[in-house]
Amino acid sequence: MEMLVALAIGILTASGTFLTLRGRTFPVVLGLTLLAYAVNLFIFSSGRLVIDGAAVLQQGLPVPDPLPQALVLTAIVIGFAMTAFAVILSMRARADLGNDHVDGSIRSQQNDGDQR
Amino acid sequence: MSHLPILPILIPMLAGILLLLPPLRTTLTRQRIASLVSAGINLLVAVVLLNQSATGEVAVYAVGDWHPPYGIVLIADRLSALMLLLTAILLFAALLYASAGEDETGRFFYPLMMFQALGINGAFLTGDLFNLFVFFEILLIASYSLLIHGGGKHKTRAAVHYVFLNLVGSAIFLFALGVVYGSIGSLNMADMALRVRELSGAELELAKVGGLLLLVVFGLKAAMLPLQFWLPRTYATAPGPVVALFAILTKVGIYCMMRVHGMIFGDYAGDIADLIQPWLWATAILTIAIGAIGALSSPSLKRLAGHLVIVSVGTLLSALAINTPAAISAALYYAAHSTLAGAALFLVSELISEQRGGALDMIVRSRPVAQPVALGITFFITALALIGMPPFSGFIGKLMVMQSATTMMQMSSTWPTLLIATLFALVAFSRAGSTLFWRATGKNSDNIKVSSTKYAAIWLLLLAAPLMSLFAGPIVEFTAATAAQLDQFAQTPEILLNGGNR
Amino acid sequence: MLYWIPLLTLLGTLLPLATRNWSRTACAWSTAILPAVALILVVIQSPAVFQGNTLVEHYPWVTQLGLEIAFRLDGYALLFIFLILGIGLLIILYARYYLSEQDDMGRFYAYLILFMTAMLGIVMSENLLQLWAFWELTSISSFLLISFWSHKTDARKGARMALTVTGMGGLALLAGILLLGDTLGTFNLTEILARGDEIRASGRYPIILILILIGAFTKSAQFPFHFWLPHAMAAPTPVSAYLHSATMVKAGIFLVGRLYPSLSGTDLWFFLVTSTGTATLLVGAYIALFKHDLKGLLAFSTISHLGLIMLLFGLNSDLAAVAAVFHIINHATFKASLFMAAGIIDHETGSRDMRKLNGLWRYMPHTASLAIVAALAMAGVPLLNGFLSKEMFFNETVHQSSLGALSWMLPVLATVGATFSVAYSARFIHDVFFNGEPINLPRTPHEPPRYMKIPVEILVGVCILVGMAPAWVVGDLLNNASSALLQGDLPEYSLSLWHGFNIPLMMSITALILGLVIYNIRERLFAFQAKFADRDAKLEFERLVQLTVEAANNLYARLETNRLQNYVLTLFIFTLAVTAWPLMQIAETTGDREQLPPDWIAFGGILTLSLAAIMTLVWHRKRVIALISVSVVGLIVALIFARFSAPDLALTQLAVEVVTIILLMLALFFLPQSTPKESSPGVVFRDLGISIMVGGVMATLAFAMMTRPLETISDFFTANAKTGGGGTNIVNVILVDFRGFDTLGEITVLGIAGLGIYKLIRRMRLSLPTADSSGRAWSSDTHPMMLAMVSQALLPLALLVSAYIFLRGHNLPGGGFIAGLITAIALIQQYIANGVFFMKGKLRLDYQYLIGWGLLIAVATGLASWMFDRPFLTSWFDYLNWPVVGKFEVASAMVFDLGVYLTVVGATLLILSNLGKLSTTERPTEGENI
Repeated sequence: MEMLVALAIGILTASGTFLTLRGRTFPVVLGLTLLAYAVNLFIFSSGRLVIDGAAVLQQGLPVPDPLPQALVLTAIVIGFAMTAFAVILSMRARADLGNDHVDGSIRSQQNDGDQR
Repeated sequence: MSHLPILPILIPMLAGILLLLPPLRTTLTRQRIASLVSAGINLLVAVVLLNQSATGEVAVYAVGDWHPPYGIVLIADRLSALMLLLTAILLFAALLYASAGEDETGRFFYPLMMFQALGINGAFLTGDLFNLFVFFEILLIASYSLLIHGGGKHKTRAAVHYVFLNLVGSAIFLFALGVVYGSIGSLNMADMALRVRELSGAELELAKVGGLLLLVVFGLKAAMLPLQFWLPRTYATAPGPVVALFAILTKVGIYCMMRVHGMIFGDYAGDIADLIQPWLWATAILTIAIGAIGALSSPSLKRLAGHLVIVSVGTLLSALAINTPAAISAALYYAAHSTLAGAALFLVSELISEQRGGALDMIVRSRPVAQPVALGITFFITALALIGMPPFSGFIGKLMVMQSATTMMQMSSTWPTLLIATLFALVAFSRAGSTLFWRATGKNSDNIKVSSTKYAAIWLLLLAAPLMSLFAGPIVEFTAATAAQLDQFAQTPEILLNGGNR
Repeated sequence: MLYWIPLLTLLGTLLPLATRNWSRTACAWSTAILPAVALILVVIQSPAVFQGNTLVEHYPWVTQLGLEIAFRLDGYALLFIFLILGIGLLIILYARYYLSEQDDMGRFYAYLILFMTAMLGIVMSENLLQLWAFWELTSISSFLLISFWSHKTDARKGARMALTVTGMGGLALLAGILLLGDTLGTFNLTEILARGDEIRASGRYPIILILILIGAFTKSAQFPFHFWLPHAMAAPTPVSAYLHSATMVKAGIFLVGRLYPSLSGTDLWFFLVTSTGTATLLVGAYIALFKHDLKGLLAFSTISHLGLIMLLFGLNSDLAAVAAVFHIINHATFKASLFMAAGIIDHETGSRDMRKLNGLWRYMPHTASLAIVAALAMAGVPLLNGFLSKEMFFNETVHQSSLGALSWMLPVLATVGATFSVAYSARFIHDVFFNGEPINLPRTPHEPPRYMKIPVEILVGVCILVGMAPAWVVGDLLNNASSALLQGDLPEYSLSLWHGFNIPLMMSITALILGLVIYNIRERLFAFQAKFADRDAKLEFERLVQLTVEAANNLYARLETNRLQNYVLTLFIFTLAVTAWPLMQIAETTGDREQLPPDWIAFGGILTLSLAAIMTLVWHRKRVIALISVSVVGLIVALIFARFSAPDLALTQLAVEVVTIILLMLALFFLPQSTPKESSPGVVFRDLGISIMVGGVMATLAFAMMTRPLETISDFFTANAKTGGGGTNIVNVILVDFRGFDTLGEITVLGIAGLGIYKLIRRMRLSLPTADSSGRAWSSDTHPMMLAMVSQALLPLALLVSAYIFLRGHNLPGGGFIAGLITAIALIQQYIANGVFFMKGKLRLDYQYLIGWGLLIAVATGLASWMFDRPFLTSWFDYLNWPVVGKFEVASAMVFDLGVYLTVVGATLLILSNLGKLSTTERPTEGENI
């Protein structure tokens, strides 16, 4: 089971990484989302895996490590806020710069718009 | 009980919130007054904290009354107090400068500045690694929003780079936290420092990975080579007062290396001791080099300022690489100096670009500035301070860093780099200055009204240059004591677990 | 009270600025006051010094760095102070008449006095670091002085060159001083002078010596660093007269003399100093002859004389050192007067070109006679001071034998140098004052104002007096200075004019005769010299700087691509680099913790997840498909959480998922529907490689962790959740209580994001696409009736659910955040279904107020605990018996959770509703920017 979860984390991270390396904003945002999923699973897994554990305090059931879960919750919320900002920012970039390239221009190294 | 340690977090937070609500949010004047007042109080608190910490007292504040290592603690020691004071000064100066007009160019300026300060202060205070992440995110999201303040193509373009890069950075931060927790099993820094000494085998190696991932994260924040390229452009496009506050951001990265790596992976961490130093040596030298080269090739004054920030980061890293109490003490003095002087330079270049019409702060022949004398003197002193010329603070800082290199190997690697970088800065500044102020054509037709408020803000920062040099004796005493205190924490983290009092 | 001497002059910099608007004379006088007072102070002190004492004062500054305010007054310093202040005062008087109406006199005097202060600081420093500080100050203030006429390109470039060269030397000097201090453990001169043998013995001696000498040589314009000096002539002549006779260039000489006892006496010293000195002496003297510009000639003669002094110091003989000191005095006097004379000529004729300036004797006999005397002194003609020191110099070169069998070379070279100096002195005299009539000068020359000549008269007077009765005039001063320099008793020497017919005299006579011969055949020499292209050091230097800058540009442009993809790539590569090594150290990846048995459900789940992730990769260009597959991934992740007993995470993940997808959908409405194919196969391959490695590393880490047991702090939470936190849902209790501070931060992030996004959306100008990329028109039926009906019916239900989720949160999965999201989603659905107008009527809510209130409530809850003298966010709970509900828990944590709820609703709606508005006529427009 651990192997499977690790595999999932690996695949998510890899695909997320690849997408963040793309040149257009939307794929990058998707990549960041995937990375976020991977990260959440990763932190979650740092508390080790427990099946049929107690969601809430009950007698006799194994209790999974609650701390990583709390951390993941915080991470999810923050991740949501950040993703939202990134999405709107890429829309704003499209509006201001007329294209959705992460450098604001298709061939940024030549016509580097801002000399400032 | 004393709630002093948490005030630097609560004051900007409450101020930020109240600025969003009536009656404060309705008029600009109220916003200005309210934010300046709260920034003033914040500054006051910082001073009080500094005095308190100067007695050697370490305030450990257990939030929610859950004691370490279980709850989140705030640690107000010498180091935090020093950084908080710097932030408070920057915040006040930045708001003062902004109150002369920058604040009208977009919404939520003051609340966001407050939240920015909240994030920075929190990062300087917390003794909990995950809580540090949370405050990192606060200061990041605030900086994202401030970066695009005022709008415009350049800002949007820079923002895309800055935001996306830092989002990846945050992801790496979380991976790091996962590894660290998964191998050490705690989040309280002091507790981790204790636990890490017990580790061995695979757990130890995992902890190392965690620590090094943290180096990547902090390095990105500190603009350490090879993660520094984003800085000059980003800082050059952001609004002046915002960048003035940003001047502390790179130091946040440095601070975290001192705090986290210094304590958890520091000299006394057994098999994992001095985890990052091997990496720091190379990066420090190269960071200084790239910064100096960039400074020489800067097309505009703000870019020059940005590259000097990178040089200062490299200088600090080299001190961290030497990693003796003397070096840490030098780093602290130099950090204080470079933060204030750097912020001043950003504001000065903002002022210059306001007065040269289309040429802005580009280093090209253009019409003369409106106030050659006042602006010239201000620029000249800022330049001297940043180059490291006597009699200003940069000179003392450079001396300290250079003297903290003791072995021939340390000298031969740091001294030449530092001195050549100084020469490059000297050349860059003399070219920039003589072009900006002297290679003028025609007359400055439109009479620009420059509010004295802006000068007041700049001089508030710039006064540090002579004063920090004049009172270098006592200041160095303080930084030395700070370094000693950090060393003591690294040696016996228990201090921080039971109330901080020896 | 020694510190008063530099302090007075420092204060003196302010006076001229204060009086700049008074009459020029008044300004000059007020400038002169404080230096004069300082001079008097020195005179008062001098008797003690003349008795051979050394006055020293220490004041602590940064003792930790060995940096202190320490002043020292001995014979050697005294000599220089007299030169600096004495000649300085004369310069002030001279400049009063030299500067024109347009020049800002106050600024000029301020710079001048600042420079004077720096020089005083150097010669009076007892602490070497302090000496260095003043050293740099001279570089800076001379930069200001040379560039005084900043509108002239020459002035700017000359100043920058001087600053760069001397600045570079200064940095080398700093390194040398630090190394020296590190070797001896002190920066105090007294000690350093006393412990010369230690220094010479230490292995670092060569490095120290070379570094310090680089500093001195650059400052004193020694070959090959001499090129900056002639271009510093762009400065107003008073500046040249001051900087290049008595002060700036003498600083290097001073330092060499000051450290003579601790550094000299070795072969290395002899070799470095003597050879540099000789080279400088000859080069300077030779070039000087070919300069048609009056100041150019004087500049190179200055270089040559500096070389002469340096050479003397290099000889490692005490007597030579005495000669050096003597020549310092003489050169200062005659060179200062010559510069001033040149200034007068320039001032009155409007030209400095010796091809035009001829026969001025008739027009300005008084000035002429003064200049001629000074020039003769420079040439070393008997009965003038120049002659005496030159005799001593010859004598030294004759009586040294360091070169063994080749020792005869030095005297010969010395004679050659002297010959040329006679030649150019002759040219100065004959070309300018005789030799026919002036050739079309801008102005018809005449005598200058009376007072402008006084400084020259005084100095020339000194030249003659010293020349006539040396022992009587400068005997004591010289003795004191020399013994202070040598830190020991003086060698036997006599200052008398006549030593009988000896070799030095012969050498002088030879030099005089040959010099005149050379001057006579000058035309041929000029023709010969004209064959070689005259290399302009300024251009050379500018080109060098330009090259450096271009190199920097190219290098930086290559490194800094300003492309995000490269930045991110670097970030990932760096990450791999740092993590690789420790991971390789892990012998066995699999730990000994008992693993869970895999089952088919999990297998299927992971498989779907992987497929979905890969689909996203493959089809990331078809954005809608990619989006859908991403949402699939999100769902599975939620399921995984549920499977491994984390219902809270599952719920939250689900809720966030929904909102995120709505957001991305809206975004996709404005962004292009597809991504063009840009990356070359190579790049794709590279990125894939990096990604797989990163993924691999993270997977390995996760596996290595999961398969190992871990002792954490979590048991505490499990134990205290109910008793201490008053809740059975441990995760929620951690969120709102144990680590409530994190949650407070987290909702702050959410709130700020809301504000930031609002900033982004305002003024966003997007063209509304009427059709998607493949031409299908968007449905015009914006608000389908069915959806409207259903969603309105659902709204109350949804709100009820969120209320329930909220309340049970503390003890069962749920809580403020999830509840908030559900509410937000419900309301958003209303937007989607009924449109903005409808909602504006229905919903009167300012979302940023909602954020504000939410955060405020949360913080207030935290502050409440202060009333019970508990730390921020300390929770409180109790069980009350409510009439209907029965036993029910009330906890401060729930109020806190309410804050969370409000913030979440506010932020989410602020984002989504405004984004929604973009697609309608309700776009936000320009307005008040509060």
